[in-house]
Amino acid sequence: MRFERKKLSNGLVLIGEVNPSARSAAVGFFVRTGSRDEAPEINGVSHFLEHMLFKGTDSLSALEVNEAFDRRGAQFNAFTSEENTVYYASVLPEYLEDITGLWAELMRPALRDDDFEMEKKVIKEEIAMYEDTPTFDVVDRCRTLHYGTHPCGNSVLGSAASIDGMTAGQMRQYFARRYVPNNIIVACSGNFDWDRFCATVERRCEGWQPQPVDRLLTDFEGTRATARLGRPNLNREHICLVHAGVSAQDPRRFAASLLSLIVGDDFGSRFYWDLVDKAIAEAASMHFGPLDGTGIFYSYLRCSSASASRVMEIVNGIFHALLRDGISEEELTKARNKVLSALVIKNELPMGRLVDLGFNWMYLGQYRSVEEDVAATKAVTVEEVNSLIRALDLSRFTQYSLGPVSPG
Amino acid sequence: MEQKTDQYVLDNGMVLLGEPMGGVESVAFEFMLPAGAAMMPDGACGAANVISDWIFRGAGDRDNRQLGDALDGLGLQRSDSIGSSHLSIGAALESSNLRAALELYADAICRSHLRDEEFMPARQLAIEEVLALDDEPRQKVMLELRKRFYPVPLGRSTVGEIEDLEHLGAEQTREIVRTRFDVGQSIFAVAGKYVFDAVCEQMERLFGGCERLDVAAVPIGARAGKYTHIPNEGSQVHIGVMTDAVPFTDKDYYNIRVATSVLSGGMSARLFTEVREKRGLCYAIGARYHSLKEAAGIMCYAGTTPDKAQETLEVVIAEFRRLADGIGEEELERAKVGLKSALIMQSESSGSRASAIGSDYYMLGRVRSLDEIKKRIEETSVDSILKCLRRKPFNDFTIVTIGPREVRVE
Repeated sequence: MRFERKKLSNGLVLIGEVNPSARSAAVGFFVRTGSRDEAPEINGVSHFLEHMLFKGTDSLSALEVNEAFDRRGAQFNAFTSEENTVYYASVLPEYLEDITGLWAELMRPALRDDDFEMEKKVIKEEIAMYEDTPTFDVVDRCRTLHYGTHPCGNSVLGSAASIDGMTAGQMRQYFARRYVPNNIIVACSGNFDWDRFCATVERRCEGWQPQPVDRLLTDFEGTRATARLGRPNLNREHICLVHAGVSAQDPRRFAASLLSLIVGDDFGSRFYWDLVDKAIAEAASMHFGPLDGTGIFYSYLRCSSASASRVMEIVNGIFHALLRDGISEEELTKARNKVLSALVIKNELPMGRLVDLGFNWMYLGQYRSVEEDVAATKAVTVEEVNSLIRALDLSRFTQYSLGPVSPG
Repeated sequence: MEQKTDQYVLDNGMVLLGEPMGGVESVAFEFMLPAGAAMMPDGACGAANVISDWIFRGAGDRDNRQLGDALDGLGLQRSDSIGSSHLSIGAALESSNLRAALELYADAICRSHLRDEEFMPARQLAIEEVLALDDEPRQKVMLELRKRFYPVPLGRSTVGEIEDLEHLGAEQTREIVRTRFDVGQSIFAVAGKYVFDAVCEQMERLFGGCERLDVAAVPIGARAGKYTHIPNEGSQVHIGVMTDAVPFTDKDYYNIRVATSVLSGGMSARLFTEVREKRGLCYAIGARYHSLKEAAGIMCYAGTTPDKAQETLEVVIAEFRRLADGIGEEELERAKVGLKSALIMQSESSGSRASAIGSDYYMLGRVRSLDEIKKRIEETSVDSILKCLRRKPFNDFTIVTIGPREVRVE
């Protein structure tokens, strides 16, 4: 495993981890932009723009773009979050340069009016689809409730109204501000030739002009509000809890990640034994969501509406017990084993490795080997997790529920 | 890269398969037990789902909590699934823990306590899971589609049916475990970093004493119907469409796989282009090949707002039918490259390989090498695919919709 890096004169950073024994390679363009960087009137533009990049350039139509990826058997896609837009592909080594070149070309899209209007329909279908997916919808709504007026509460998809009201001109302006070379990194992992990779990116990207980019970076403890929405087509209670967490830069992120498994891993956690094993809730999980300068834990619980108050009593009991008594050495050991084995399995695939490689650079400006992450996870102590529990006060959280119109 | 398959058969018939992988520290294993949804007795739909939970609630020398803690301590990434034919339980983990994990899984399979007090929560979770499906129309529509497409009982819901689950008793379920957990008809697959001799020796000790039960195959009945609408006041109409295709064991298997890829392999494939790119009808649109040993089909999902549902369905069906009219050389090439690349990339994951070799053995009685699959994909041509499509044309479609509005079906 060999790490490489290079910075072009316009600020574009290239990083790579070369693993000659891999059967494939993965490449990603990581753009530091997302819904937290949007003004209310253009809410949803980052995600919409992600779709528009696939619509081609001045010399490539949308169909030609899709054909170009498919001709090389690429598994490719993109995702947008509150703060990142990531375009990625995994391919066989012989196609890596072609696909890297293609992505680089697409980073300067045509953003045509007629494509914009057609894709609006698709975006609105995506919004409708997630409305019919309460497991997703409730987490999104709870995050928005938790962050209040903090920009991390902005919806990634936007609303049907904000998408309807958006113009292609507004999108072009947003693009010009955010897709600048000093706000993008290009990462590659797996079996590839670093020099040829660099040459491909440089040829396409060295003409990009840098300009200053900003982001509001404040932490926020959360509104700790409670809300519920009834829907006629729901028969289960879907509950999301959001706690204040620690940021992606915080050294306590390893302890936070272990804590989320101890409390809410799908199997063997406190949620599992107290709720799922006893069939009081059908699903109960907690995840750590580190962000730029802030962070959250979010929990998802699903049960009958009649059981909702009992579930919340038990959950509150779990959080209070954690505050009072902390975690045990045995719990930490089990959580550590889970993290370590997940790290090993995920990083065996170039695509799995790409995500950590890219995000470590985005958030920390540094390369971290798998071994360093393993060592950091192994080094976490019971006292570190317990002091995190006290610092975050797990007994206080924001709660959003989706369920039937008349609960219980 | 050198590829080989390890194989060993225990006296009772249990098949052990392995695929060693270089450069990995992980190992994945899977037990395929002939206790899938279709293998459950009539009136016990969902029993397999209950069993997959119940067998881990105490086994061997450990009670529920002790077994859970022991599994947890090994850092397993568990992957249990219920299919039509098999109940599969397995995990991916660091290779040094494989031996300990197999001991625990053998306990769950052969020496589960199956206690009454643990039956109730296992059954309750299955009931809740069925109820939760009503809130996830995207998943539910595909389960309802399979149920109606495949002849009874092959397409039975792998989650379960409320009425059956509510009447399911502990003794009845115990009897199902006794008669259906036929080790002699089970397949064990392992891939990644392992020592095959050591695995065989351990498996011989753990399972060699189990007698073969010779579970009979299930009789196959009729199909359930052409179009079903399930009302739901949601935002979209969720459309499931499925049509007959040659099964995995057919000489035309590779032709139908490549044809499905022309229809819906990548983003330049026909469904994505016609439904989403040209008409903006859907966000989620896609079709995939799905095969049991006895029958197979191509299943398609499309989700769209009510005003566009009729047009979406019509475009989807038209694209299925248009395939037999002709395929371009370029789109054929893209479909082939897509399938071959996906195959190689999946082969980097120990979990994917363990399930692939197990499923190959069940379907064909042998494991195909990656080279063989690549070669067979390469051998397909526009002619061979069109011949296959004309031999078995897409005439009949099973359709299920969930949402605020019905569609009209010819």
